[in-house]
Amino acid sequence: MFALFFLPSRHGQRRIVGGRLATLAIAAGLVGYGAMSSNLGAIDTLGTVFMYLVVTQAWNILGGYGGYLNFGMVTYFGIGAYASAVLFQYFGLSPFLTAPLAGAAAALFGLLIGIPTLRLRGAYFAVITIIITFAVQLLMLDLPFTQGALGIFLSPLAANPVFVERLFYFIFFALAATATTLVFAVENSNFGWALVAIREDEDAAEVIGVRTTAVKWTANALAAFMTGTVGGIYAQRILYIEPTGTFALDISLNVVLMAVIGGAGTWQGPVIGVPLVLLVAEALRVTVTSEVNRVIFSIIVILIALFVPGGIMGLLQEVRRRMRPLVRKSAGETMPRTGG
Amino acid sequence: MVTTVAGIVANGILLGLVYAIAALGLSLIMGVMGIINVAHSAFIMLGSFLALGLLEWAHIDPIASFFIALPIFFVVGAVVYRLIVTRVERAHQTQGLIAMFGLMVLIENLGTIAWTTDTRVITVGYSNANLTVGPLIIADAPLIAGVLAVVLILALRLFLHSTMVGRAIRAMGQNRDAALSLGINVRRLSAIMFGLGIASAGAAGVALAMIFPFAPQTQIQWLAWAFLIVVLGGLGRVESTLVSALMVGLIQTAATAFLPFDYVYLILYVALATILSVRRQGLRGVARRAI
Repeated sequence: MFALFFLPSRHGQRRIVGGRLATLAIAAGLVGYGAMSSNLGAIDTLGTVFMYLVVTQAWNILGGYGGYLNFGMVTYFGIGAYASAVLFQYFGLSPFLTAPLAGAAAALFGLLIGIPTLRLRGAYFAVITIIITFAVQLLMLDLPFTQGALGIFLSPLAANPVFVERLFYFIFFALAATATTLVFAVENSNFGWALVAIREDEDAAEVIGVRTTAVKWTANALAAFMTGTVGGIYAQRILYIEPTGTFALDISLNVVLMAVIGGAGTWQGPVIGVPLVLLVAEALRVTVTSEVNRVIFSIIVILIALFVPGGIMGLLQEVRRRMRPLVRKSAGETMPRTGG
Repeated sequence: MVTTVAGIVANGILLGLVYAIAALGLSLIMGVMGIINVAHSAFIMLGSFLALGLLEWAHIDPIASFFIALPIFFVVGAVVYRLIVTRVERAHQTQGLIAMFGLMVLIENLGTIAWTTDTRVITVGYSNANLTVGPLIIADAPLIAGVLAVVLILALRLFLHSTMVGRAIRAMGQNRDAALSLGINVRRLSAIMFGLGIASAGAAGVALAMIFPFAPQTQIQWLAWAFLIVVLGGLGRVESTLVSALMVGLIQTAATAFLPFDYVYLILYVALATILSVRRQGLRGVARRAI
């Protein structure tokens, strides 16, 4: 049933060629940097950038294309982290092996909460996701096998720290690349268009035959899986999982800020927004506190919502559109206004 | 036994009244204007700190602050409406949501910069006093907060039902375009409505500060709480918000008497999920049946 969603369109393939070289060059550069650099701080920061990139791309699927804003992405993230930590605690399994299981646990949870919440139209869903974060956080405090506020310790990898940092750098890089490719595929598939149709007018989408609820559930479960997988690996990286820090609302808020600033609803948006927000925050860390950072970014988000709904990516597209001549003569394309 | 039950009921009602004003602004703005103001709880937090500031600097009692907060937050709300809401109310709903989300993050972090993340309490003469009515013991602070809440609820209800402006606002909630064509100044009334919503949020912040400890970063829990009440009750009606808030207050006090506090949230969440699952279209059915 979903195979049809992922059929690439001709429109999509035309676009691939454009940015392909630049994308490959940047990716190659990042791989090279990860392998060569011995700057632990930079590798660590970039690892976090890639980690956030996966979560933000996951958010982007339902939030950016579908218009269903999830203000509680940390729920999936935390469930993934807890799934991995619990599997380690009781079965001694490494989170590297159990990351897909962590993703599956989050996806299952995503499906479960999707049943009541995704019937709701956009805005209600947003606030419910915050409530769910609190509920799950409380659950983790009270469930017998999560050790409550004590948390769960994981054992560090027996290797030198530079190698460990590099390992996480490459794992998160690979996941971020996969996530971005996946979102690119979604953007150029029927599935992606169904989501956009839902965002633009859900009733109309339903009328023309989009199975809106199924599409929303799929998007949500997919996002939960991606986020949960990353959460599972995060557990091995941070080595200590407890309810307050793992379900920190900051993560949810950051994801939305990054996606909106970069440009929600485009695969490039998170690729621009995540590094921008995190690297600026890192650069300013010495001079200002994280609160001041957040103040700056929240003002930017308000301004974007008011004046540039597409974020940075929307701005770029607007500029490109204005620079392009009105009549574009390329093979197989007719001018819309001539009317044939 | 009878005394225990009476105590639970009395405290539950008082708590529910305070919850009602915390949720009222959210419910009215949502019902009349169709805007989900996720920054609602940020204004509640500002109200709490206003009470604290007035108490520390000018020794003004929170009871007075409750009424001082109303005009101040009304103006704040009207300004927010002019600066932000007017630009997004006709746009796609997600855009407004993102704008209000940005505002929420902005206010919370400005609050953290100004007041740090320390948890505060308001301590006045009656903070730890009790009122004894026969065998019943009721703490003074919730009692006073509850009475203030009743005053605000009655005032709002009177305003919406008995004044020309209030009736026009309700007309606008029922059909904005029809109201516009009847010559109602929709823009000005929306500003008033938004101002009233924020004013009640600020006042609720003062009332909540009398009972609960508060800190800038915990404000979002009040958004969750207020939204729960709104969703349980339905949109835009003063009465339905009041009823569901009283229910939540009673459930909470009853549950805390027997269970650890954590479970109360889970119980309410399950109730919420059930309601959402039972109503086929979620809340959409009630969304436009405002006031």
